[in-house]
Amino acid sequence: MGAVTVAVLLVAWETAGRVGLLSAYHFPRPSRLAVTIWDLVVVGFPVGVTVWQHVGATIARIVQGYVLAAALAVPLGLVIGGVRALDQATAPVVTFARSVATISLLPLAVAWFGVGERSRVLLIAYGCFWVILTNVVEGVKSVDPELIRAGRMLGSTPRQVFTRVVLPASTPRIFAGMKVALGLAFMVIVGVEMIGTIKGLGALIMEARTFYRSDTAMVGMIFIALFGFALARLLDRLERVLLPWSTGLEAVER
Amino acid sequence: MNQPAATPKIVVNGVSRQFPAADPERGLALQDINLTIGANEFVSVVGRSGCGKTTLLNLIAGLLRPTEGEVCIDGRRVEGPGPDRGMVFQHSALFPWLTAIENVEFGPRNLGVPRDRRRALARELIDLVRLRGFEDKYPRELSGGMKQRVAIARALATDPEILLMDEPFGALDELTRAEMQEELLRIWGARRKTVVFVTHSIMEAIYLSDRVVVLSPHPGRVRREVPIPMPRPRQRSSTEFMAYYEDIHGSIF
Repeated sequence: MGAVTVAVLLVAWETAGRVGLLSAYHFPRPSRLAVTIWDLVVVGFPVGVTVWQHVGATIARIVQGYVLAAALAVPLGLVIGGVRALDQATAPVVTFARSVATISLLPLAVAWFGVGERSRVLLIAYGCFWVILTNVVEGVKSVDPELIRAGRMLGSTPRQVFTRVVLPASTPRIFAGMKVALGLAFMVIVGVEMIGTIKGLGALIMEARTFYRSDTAMVGMIFIALFGFALARLLDRLERVLLPWSTGLEAVER
Repeated sequence: MNQPAATPKIVVNGVSRQFPAADPERGLALQDINLTIGANEFVSVVGRSGCGKTTLLNLIAGLLRPTEGEVCIDGRRVEGPGPDRGMVFQHSALFPWLTAIENVEFGPRNLGVPRDRRRALARELIDLVRLRGFEDKYPRELSGGMKQRVAIARALATDPEILLMDEPFGALDELTRAEMQEELLRIWGARRKTVVFVTHSIMEAIYLSDRVVVLSPHPGRVRREVPIPMPRPRQRSSTEFMAYYEDIHGSIF
């Protein structure tokens, strides 16, 4: 069914373009985009930088920033969520830092870390970090107190209450935060690739804009969407394998 | 069975419990509770909502500390929760990430019982609560009654001498509830535990218990203790049963 919808839309778009309802510059036709994709695969844009190099550069940055963020935010969130005083002390900072639009930090990041890879990876990590942290903290805090009481009645030491009750009980929320963070990473990537590099799907879009290549910009956008979608699906699969008991997820904080 | 003074298992001695509240009157959940429960006795606690039934249970469990007085088990003061008292919660409180049998194994695992031993023990308890075939189901795959069966098996797994039950069948439908009452009496007959059973159903309390403790609210006090010396199985429609019902109902309202 979904495939039919996509096919119908593509045909309508193509037809509208051919009869002149859509301008070729503003809405390059699907047939034109297919040619553009082919060019990007064999020739590249700019010449020599193929689409796979763009995709590779983008994915590498996202994975590095994302993994870095998760590696820091998950343990830190478990500690903050588990210690009420720490949560109260850090709450204003966390709320503020999470509210800062990551892209607005681009000039500062360039000043601190230069225009190289480090700035890009760290900005992605920054955006993901706060989303994951917030969700881990909430996950730990929102564990049903009845489960903790049950654990204590069954002889759990305080340490066992944490490792055998609190930790497993908060995993669905942690996972939910990881998924939101991944989506955020795909939004941030386009911004951070707009300066200082010609590799990456964001750079491709910027470069295409400079040369009035709306078809190339559109292809870049489509690739970002496709890979974002694929990685999100991968996480869904992973969740179903790792948390077969989970019924689905409650609301998640951005 | 009805001479609790002979071998006191649980002694609640002058216990009051105050919760933080703007109005101290309202914060006083329990006032000067004195209660002696004998070994293997089945005692129900009834009363209107907010009379402190659950607070009393949590004090015996050690999940709460009394503001005044003390709770003693076998002559020793309760200092905290422990696997010598099994607890069954109203909404089962099963661990959703563990299967039925893993939930039952949770207590023994905390106590360091080796894997094979605790698995065998859990199987035996799964059989006792008649859930064979459902060992590997997650709680979300079980009905309300089945969840409470698992919860009972889990509470029994550390072989406690006391079973504390907080409206365990309150969330079940009428038929399942009656079925679970039978099951509980059967299990109690098989394992001989001291049971403290909190309920707001007078019928349930009379049907199950050796003795019914009636609490009055604001602040929670023991209004009456009614021994129920009827032989089991009891007939809910008998005149004797209804006389107890009228009597206890009258002292609550």
